[in-house]
Amino acid sequence: MQPGLSGEAFRAHVLAWLAANVPAGIRIDQPGYQEPDLEACRAFEAALHKGGLAGITWPVEYGGHGLTIREHLIANQEIGRRGLPESINSLGKELAGPIILAIGNEEQKLRLLPPLLEMKQIWCQGFSEPGAGSDLAGLRTRATRDGDHWRINGRKIWTSASPWADRCLLLARTGALEDRHKGLALFAMRMDAPGVTVQPIRQIDGSTDFAEVILEDVPVDAADALGAPDEGWGAAVRVLSIERATNRMYRAWRFENELSHLMRACRSDATLAGLIGSGEYHRRLAEIMVDIEIIKGYVEPTVERLAEGEAIGDRGSLMKLHWSEAHQRFAVLAMELLDQAPPGAGDEVAAARARFQSTYLRGRAETIYAGTTEVQLGIIADRMLKLPRER
Amino acid sequence: MTIATDDALAAFATTATSAVAQCAGLDPRGRARCLAEAGLIGVLAAEASGGLALGLDHAVPVLHAAGAGLLGYPLLESMLLAAALGERPEAARIVLGDATATIAWSGGAQLEGGLLSGTAGRAPMADSADLVLVRLADGAALVDATGPGVIIDAGDGLDLEAAECRVILSGATPLALLDGDAMDAILQGARLLWAAAIGGAVETCLAAAVAHTSTRVQFGKALVSFQSLRHAMARQKLAAEHIGAAIARSLMHPDDRLARAAAFAAATRFGASAVESALQLHGGMGFTWDIPMHRHLRRIRAWDAQGDAPGLHRRLAADLLAANA
Repeated sequence: MQPGLSGEAFRAHVLAWLAANVPAGIRIDQPGYQEPDLEACRAFEAALHKGGLAGITWPVEYGGHGLTIREHLIANQEIGRRGLPESINSLGKELAGPIILAIGNEEQKLRLLPPLLEMKQIWCQGFSEPGAGSDLAGLRTRATRDGDHWRINGRKIWTSASPWADRCLLLARTGALEDRHKGLALFAMRMDAPGVTVQPIRQIDGSTDFAEVILEDVPVDAADALGAPDEGWGAAVRVLSIERATNRMYRAWRFENELSHLMRACRSDATLAGLIGSGEYHRRLAEIMVDIEIIKGYVEPTVERLAEGEAIGDRGSLMKLHWSEAHQRFAVLAMELLDQAPPGAGDEVAAARARFQSTYLRGRAETIYAGTTEVQLGIIADRMLKLPRER
Repeated sequence: MTIATDDALAAFATTATSAVAQCAGLDPRGRARCLAEAGLIGVLAAEASGGLALGLDHAVPVLHAAGAGLLGYPLLESMLLAAALGERPEAARIVLGDATATIAWSGGAQLEGGLLSGTAGRAPMADSADLVLVRLADGAALVDATGPGVIIDAGDGLDLEAAECRVILSGATPLALLDGDAMDAILQGARLLWAAAIGGAVETCLAAAVAHTSTRVQFGKALVSFQSLRHAMARQKLAAEHIGAAIARSLMHPDDRLARAAAFAAATRFGASAVESALQLHGGMGFTWDIPMHRHLRRIRAWDAQGDAPGLHRRLAADLLAANA
């Protein structure tokens, strides 16, 4: 990529790159789609980075492309529109990486960030525990200093990507449990360290993308402690509030791809074409379009604010609440329509049904992870509306 | 279009809030003068007509304040009509508050032999207006509301602040004609400004719900301490923010018709349910005439109909099907 591209010149680069480099069969909305395996995903994401479509805002010295969040938005719009595979390293690119950029030291940035973008190291996130889900401050996994390294003991759960991850962004307690948010530290733990056991957990769609991670006396180099021992929680909250507003920025455009895919599948079958043409579904289809526009309405002005250096506060909670519920509404509609296809419906309907059955089932997680709907509502009530507590 | 600074927009919001509050004690003609003196009616109008020739981004905070303050005046209609009339003399009269003007959003008239006939509806406060715009098959016609061949009668809409009227035309002479593009620009602008007004209404109702639940004690505690109520108010806030987000994006992409439609559709859908929820949190009081929740709700329902939200949804769906044919 030519250095320093911006705005529409950057979009032209993105369009040209995607036209030339997207492998056949990995676009989920196209005929001939075959679900890519882990290695195919890894290779494609590495190519995206090399082509200048990932790590866009990260400094060049850490493997990034040194551009602005506006270019990040442009790349995400085009990626979303094409129904490309979901990132297998989004926790690295959108959580661990930004936290390392915020609180890591120079040596850590140089050592950890380039392999992450090059897809040589995939990250998972070790925050939730069996006894600390929404209430993370109650987490019990303990980090104890042992000479030149730390020893970790505890259990993490719902750890997405852990079955194939190389590193874990681990939140562990160095102080007393009573200290709640204080005394929580972050580590870049190696997943191949002795004492790490990953026990995959089967999900509602039958896949095993997450696991319980058991940590028994796991040694972590002091050099892999991120920030000061009591800096973990503050850093996590700070980064999470921005990430919640900016992660998977392609989402609205990917939803458009899903809606468009659904429409084409329905049109391929006379029964379904009759249903969507009859007006019975027009209001709901239009409401999905409006839902998508609202997501864009959160994303684009937020990108402008961030690009201008403004704070965005807790706006990520608003966006997360909306997109997760809107996506579930869409999935319900897609299932309802496709389930009315006759038994002899063709391949396009079958492919769409496979996609949207998965969207429906996996979508149930969207109002749970990254702060449940109830947690987000609490954030809005407490921090945005500042509603008084019981006196 | 240039994007206004936040400071400039905040100044418009402050001016509008104060003018809307003053209007409460005035008759329709007094309100026209008050709003005109504050420079609000001419925000969008041509400078030659006494206007400020600013973009819709400046009108948004004005309509937000009008919605928040239950303004009983067809301000949205006056602003858009004054702008559409360009340098015609009627524009200056509207901007200066010398003439009150409104738009009949539904139905319309036929123009035959230079004369108008037909029935138009959903014209806010046409019974006190000097000028009414009625839609034609392609475009619109401005008529003297008190002139020959024009009968204004009460409509049956829900809004109590700017009651909708019917406009019956039988051989009325048009004062001016607008072409299809000009009428389309009015509609596009109206969608954004209705959204802004609904956003204002939602915020007023949410503030009332917060105030009520913070002071009302039941089961030995302030209602606000119950999580179900806190979450209901968080959802009202979410509705207000959805509306604001859709408006902000529409202003970033002024020519994107889907973004504009979405701002209006989001406002009517999320706005109405947010006000219903705020009403619910008032308990029995919310069902009374004296608590203004119902006034806001009535207006949102009226705006939904004036902007033909159901028809807009049908057209969006038709566009979607056409794009994926």
